[in-house]
Amino acid sequence: MSATKTFLLELHCEEIPARFLQPLADEFSTALSAWIQGQGLAAASLESFYSPRKLAWRGIGLPGSQPDQTDTQVGPPQRMCVGEDGQPTIQGLKFAEKWGVAFSAVRFEQPAGKKEPCAVVTITKQGRPTVDLLAEALPGLIAGLHVPKAMRWGSSEFEFVRPIRNILCLFGDQVVPITVDGVAATDSTWGHRLYHRQHPGPVRIPTPESYESALETAGVVVSVEARRTRIAQQLETLAAEAKGRVVADAELLDTLAEIVEFPKIVRGDFPVDFLELPKEVLVTSLREHQKSFCIEGPGGALLPHFLTAANRTDDPAGFVKAGNEWVLKARLYDARFFFAEDRKHPLSDRLEKLKALTFQRELGSYHDKTGRVVALTKALATKLSKDDEHIDRALEAARMAKCDLRTLMVGEFPELQGVMGGEYLKHEGAHEEVWMAVKEHYRPIGADDAVPSTPMGCLLSLCDKLDTVAGCFAVGLIPSGSKDPLALRRAGQGIVRILWERGWAFTPADLIAAGLRVVGTRATKPAPETTEALLTFFKDRVAYQLEQAGYAGSVRRSALAAGWEDLADLKARCEALSAFAEDVRFASLAQSAKRIGNILKDELASGDFDSALLTQGEEKVLAEHLGRLEATADQKALLGALAELAEPLEAFFNAVMVKCDDPALRAARLSLLHRLRQAFLRVADFSLWQ
Amino acid sequence: MHIQELILRLQRFWADRGCLIGQPYDLEKGAGTMNPLTFFGALGSRPWNVAYVEPSRRPADGRYGENPFRVYKHLQFQVILKPSPAKVQDLYIESLEALGIDLSKHDLRFEEDNWESPSLGAWGVGWQVVLDGMEISQFTYFQQVGGLDCRPVSAELTYGIERICMFLGGYDNIFDLVHGEVKTDDGVFPVTYGQMRQREEFELSAYSFEHADLDLHRHLFDAFEKEGWHLLNDLGHFLSAYEQALKMSHTFNVLDARGAVSTTERPGIIKRVRDLACGCAKAYLEHQEGAAAAAETAGKGGAK
Repeated sequence: MSATKTFLLELHCEEIPARFLQPLADEFSTALSAWIQGQGLAAASLESFYSPRKLAWRGIGLPGSQPDQTDTQVGPPQRMCVGEDGQPTIQGLKFAEKWGVAFSAVRFEQPAGKKEPCAVVTITKQGRPTVDLLAEALPGLIAGLHVPKAMRWGSSEFEFVRPIRNILCLFGDQVVPITVDGVAATDSTWGHRLYHRQHPGPVRIPTPESYESALETAGVVVSVEARRTRIAQQLETLAAEAKGRVVADAELLDTLAEIVEFPKIVRGDFPVDFLELPKEVLVTSLREHQKSFCIEGPGGALLPHFLTAANRTDDPAGFVKAGNEWVLKARLYDARFFFAEDRKHPLSDRLEKLKALTFQRELGSYHDKTGRVVALTKALATKLSKDDEHIDRALEAARMAKCDLRTLMVGEFPELQGVMGGEYLKHEGAHEEVWMAVKEHYRPIGADDAVPSTPMGCLLSLCDKLDTVAGCFAVGLIPSGSKDPLALRRAGQGIVRILWERGWAFTPADLIAAGLRVVGTRATKPAPETTEALLTFFKDRVAYQLEQAGYAGSVRRSALAAGWEDLADLKARCEALSAFAEDVRFASLAQSAKRIGNILKDELASGDFDSALLTQGEEKVLAEHLGRLEATADQKALLGALAELAEPLEAFFNAVMVKCDDPALRAARLSLLHRLRQAFLRVADFSLWQ
Repeated sequence: MHIQELILRLQRFWADRGCLIGQPYDLEKGAGTMNPLTFFGALGSRPWNVAYVEPSRRPADGRYGENPFRVYKHLQFQVILKPSPAKVQDLYIESLEALGIDLSKHDLRFEEDNWESPSLGAWGVGWQVVLDGMEISQFTYFQQVGGLDCRPVSAELTYGIERICMFLGGYDNIFDLVHGEVKTDDGVFPVTYGQMRQREEFELSAYSFEHADLDLHRHLFDAFEKEGWHLLNDLGHFLSAYEQALKMSHTFNVLDARGAVSTTERPGIIKRVRDLACGCAKAYLEHQEGAAAAAETAGKGGAK
């Protein structure tokens, strides 16, 4: 067997947009790995690398050639191939000729399924050298990459993500001779631009194994994980030197690792007076405009420093620091201008301007939406509070919630919606409840985000999302499959999260009715249809909420099947079930519950029975338990009572024959079991327990 | 560095590398791309290298001359290289060094920034070039102009002149930049950007935010459009028709800065500009092909 070799392909391009790097690296890996398998080859491992100007793949442990393939062909019976004189017949010779062998290579064996010996030949197809296969296949694989925003350059018709300027392609120490759009592969590539100021020629990569180290010498850290780690370490060190800690942002960290070939984190400073801007504005401005991290002090307040990545090893003249500081100052100057301009008029002045901002074609403007959210808030707030002043404040928050969409700051930084409204109201001296509610009403923004920190914020968030979801469903905008352009599932999830965490007693049916009431005549679909679609939608959201809350599959399934609309009740049942699932008696109980289900499957059991009919001790005990069970209202106590039922149930099934001959007794026993099942179903459908 | 010195160096650099040095086009426009040297130059197969300064007006960016970083009108230095050379990034980097930027001490990055001009029916992919955290240039490979595929593809380099000057000199206020020096018998007088332009910024901002007559501009927009289609359709005149498209574009920008264009109206208005520009592009190419065919026929005739 020939020794295995390592394969390396690198496409060196002009700067590839960061967002395409990983998808392209992954897609080609998948295609390459499928191709390797299809060729009867195998690789011990296939890894990919990328940096702003490079996409590379390395396959370790590829054989030097395809394995030889043997193929056995069965021909006519021996008697037809060999004459009585022992000489080959014409038919025999033709068979040998067909498979390209001499007749002497034909064997006679009795293959499985044949009644007599037949002519058999074994053909060996020689495997081709891997390097030849690669050379043939790679150009097609590269051209076949799906590039989301492809471009042409120069006079060529070739399309790729950015111009390909060099191709490095090795199999062991041998160059794989491929050409893509006129660029022929070599054993060399290019390092960091700064490196080549002193070293004009390309960098030779002697072997695929030395790829990373050779490039590191040439100023490129080609592994994105390595770059990310180095950046994270530098961030931490520099923040500590500034006596603070980095305001974490995993997405920004990924971005920085994708836009530099060699990461150097530089700390810069900005004038202290910009700290008067809200923290969110600073963090957003630094992230969006300068891809910079903020540093916060021990109390959480920002320090007048920032951290950004340079694409080089050092900052010898301090130009990188000075340049970034200069630009940041210009940006913050703008932010301060917006902050000052926006505050020249009360936030409420924007209410009227919301008329010109479309929320959704059928559902009208943001002004219309605001009207609906106010109405919803009124309907729900009166159920949560009897305090008129408190309700008035909730309505005020609902009226102001969308006004910041017409401010300069949100125009510049759309992700600050809500936050700015809250900040401006705070500056205007609004009640803390009101500005906090407005500030947080978009939350939870995702599964990782918290719900608003105040009850009023939760109510506003819920009403805003409910209007969006109910309104969109009512005009036929229903998410399907992977299509959810309006992020209605996220909004629905937010509603369920809030109910779940607040323990409010609104059922989805209540909310749907309230939501559709405010949508009113804007609806284009019949209300019953919309209601049904929304109930299904909310049930899915509730199921997902249980998953997010970390309940085991059996707990979720059996608890949901016993009712999902009363979330507080569902939560209590899930909690109790989860705790109880550890109890040894539980397995027995679940078993018995299933058995009851099976027995009752084909029976009509009424709920009433004469307990005097019951004769055996085991069933009498059971009837007593049932009485206690039915009298227990509390979920936890109910589960406790159920647990105590495990043993008597087991005893019952061991001793009592339910389907006995006496029809009256049989009916009484079936009814007893029926009532027990009803009691179980108040907590969970155990037949779904696995 | 003085503004005029920066412009002179860029012109020298690109002239030395085989570019024609063009002139700004004498109509209001939002970007150097709108200059016919680029708009028509990027179309068709004829090789075309050109560089020029373009004063660019963005009415909505006006700040009455009070904001140290943002202005109604700024200077772009525009380079078109068709077809885009294989070493176009290296050429661009050399041009920065010609401006005295020692790249061994700076951080230079090419960050994705795709360009699109809906009113010209043009788009391309490329980068914003970021030097020490500041965007100093826009770098685009044109894919379409005037709704037509670019074959071959042009590379467009756009330098923000004031920005680069401010950055190199560490200026905190655009109006402190020095345009150049006036030397007389009495001495040397540096002239600042502020002296040359601040009052203009004030008046033009005031005009586009407050005083521009909305009815007049709405009327002008319609009239330019009518005139443009007349020139294009009835006479086949794509250059004068294109001027009408430029005028429509600027008129729209003024209306927009005045807040007179609603979000729903906007796409429709931009489309009206684009339709005329695309019509001009198509007529230009047809004219070029017709001229080429005529030249070929004449050539053959001569040979006979």
